[in-house]
Amino acid sequence: MRIGLLRGAKCAVLVTAGLALAATSVAVARPQRIVSLNMCTDELVLRLADPERIASVTWLSQDPRNANMAEVARRIPANHGVVEQVLAMKPDLVIAGAYTTRATVGLLKRVGARPREFGVPRNLAEMRAQIREMAALLGEEARGEALVADIDTRLTALAKRRRPKPLRAIVLRPNGFTVGRGSLVDEILTRAGLVNIAAELGIESYGQIPLETVALAGAEILVLNDTPDSPPSLAHEVLHHPVIARLSDRLRLVPLPSRLWTCAGPSVVDAIELLVAAREQPR
Amino acid sequence: MRSRTGVEIRPALLLPVLGLAMLAMSGASLAVGYAQLPLGRALADAVSGQVSLPALVLLELRLPRAMLGALVGFSLGMAGAAMQGLMRNPLAEPGVVGISSAAALGAVAAFYSGLSATVALALPLGGIAGALLATLVLFILLGRGASTTTLILAGVALNSFAGAATALALNLAPNPYAALEIVFWLMGSLADRSMSHVWLVLPLMLSGWLLMASTAPALDALSLGEETAASLGFDLTWLRARLIGGAVLAVGSAVAVTGAIGFVGLVVPHLLRPLVGHRPGRLLVASGLGGAILVLVADLGVRLAPIRPELKLGVVTALIGAPFLFALVQRLRREAL
Repeated sequence: MRIGLLRGAKCAVLVTAGLALAATSVAVARPQRIVSLNMCTDELVLRLADPERIASVTWLSQDPRNANMAEVARRIPANHGVVEQVLAMKPDLVIAGAYTTRATVGLLKRVGARPREFGVPRNLAEMRAQIREMAALLGEEARGEALVADIDTRLTALAKRRRPKPLRAIVLRPNGFTVGRGSLVDEILTRAGLVNIAAELGIESYGQIPLETVALAGAEILVLNDTPDSPPSLAHEVLHHPVIARLSDRLRLVPLPSRLWTCAGPSVVDAIELLVAAREQPR
Repeated sequence: MRSRTGVEIRPALLLPVLGLAMLAMSGASLAVGYAQLPLGRALADAVSGQVSLPALVLLELRLPRAMLGALVGFSLGMAGAAMQGLMRNPLAEPGVVGISSAAALGAVAAFYSGLSATVALALPLGGIAGALLATLVLFILLGRGASTTTLILAGVALNSFAGAATALALNLAPNPYAALEIVFWLMGSLADRSMSHVWLVLPLMLSGWLLMASTAPALDALSLGEETAASLGFDLTWLRARLIGGAVLAVGSAVAVTGAIGFVGLVVPHLLRPLVGHRPGRLLVASGLGGAILVLVADLGVRLAPIRPELKLGVVTALIGAPFLFALVQRLRREAL
């Protein structure tokens, strides 16, 4: 009985909050209190909207080791994706990733707050579409077009570089993961004139790869997806296994900070440039 | 009193047999892996000092895995036998009484604080400090001759406290990956360990083994009761100090590099006890060898089983060990009636 009452009271609070939220989110065409619940949607919001309109981004985006827009993000209140935190910020637009903070997104939907969800682009075309979709949602179509145009100009310049025969490459991420077919990283490697060995091995998107396979796969470039100066973790320890240092005699080790391609945005062009430079470097 | 007859095997026969089995399992561990490795060529290159890719895989990936499997298994098996002999209780085992999880907590503190990145030795020392603290707490709280019930209850308390504190430490660790890594520390794994881990713990483990082995005659005397052992001229305080010190050195450094692999120190002494004529002193080295065999076999299992990402070692040892624990509890109940 008491539990029922409590639950009822909680629901009532949520529903009122939700109604208030729903009412504002319908009324405002150009949202002024944007809350983002995912590190990758954070980045796009931070690039496309003025900071005054952003009520909150995730705490992850405030760490310059993880995120590209940390400097701006640090001036904005952080959230941990908890529903009570979100409601307290009285947002008129909640943006979430399609795979993160599911409980919060579910609750927000139940109270009619209509959070907008964004997936993970699997290639550059999907990335462009996502930038445009986000820009439209924020009422910043012109900034979205400018961002896409800038990306395309840099990509065209890269494509004009003379490319000798492609080199065979493999990506090693924390926890011994690699990236295979059907992923943005795969297209980044291809654009940089590299052949992704993980894709040849039949790995779809993200998959674990044993260090033995990394050593014996015949790679000419090993891309180490490290986070520079990251605090210790077993996940990153794999990237510093002595066997990798000993492999450096026979292949090129290319450290690539994971923030460049964790999220789909203009930084993936930085990743391509970095890989092209590594490929063109004389041995 | 259970009967002390059994199929006793002379130590001169038992130890070489176990030793050979351990070598065979180490060999199998070198031969099994994730990539097709031309083993003959890898061996030839490794011996002739030629740094080919197969030799690299053999020396930098498979060798440390096999060596750590044997070292950690030996430490856990021997420490289990030692503690059971000291407490004269078949359930006294580093994992059951919470010493392993306390060692994991110590290692976690040393690793995620960044201390072990500056001073590598901090990692095993953290594990040893955790194990030592837990052992002192056990002995101070329980005193000598604790009943099985108090021992197990203290173990439950220590295990849940150390597990929770480890989870807390990992949640507070600044690296976002850390929180997910509790599985390694509580279940243990030999995946992607390196020769640097081997060199880090080898001297510490060896001294732990020697300390424990030096107590063998006193342990045999102790099985006749504390007064008898004392009247035979054994200094019991000195015995306890050496034995606990040895077990803490071995278990603490083992857990620091491979996480807490459970049940090894419980199952192995239990299986081998009849073969050494129920003499706790003789059981020490035999249990060490048996522990090495068990961990090596379990590690072969996780690599051969078609489950990816590979299972944690503690999953396999628990599948083998839990039924043993139940059987032991059952037998202790019958004896108590």
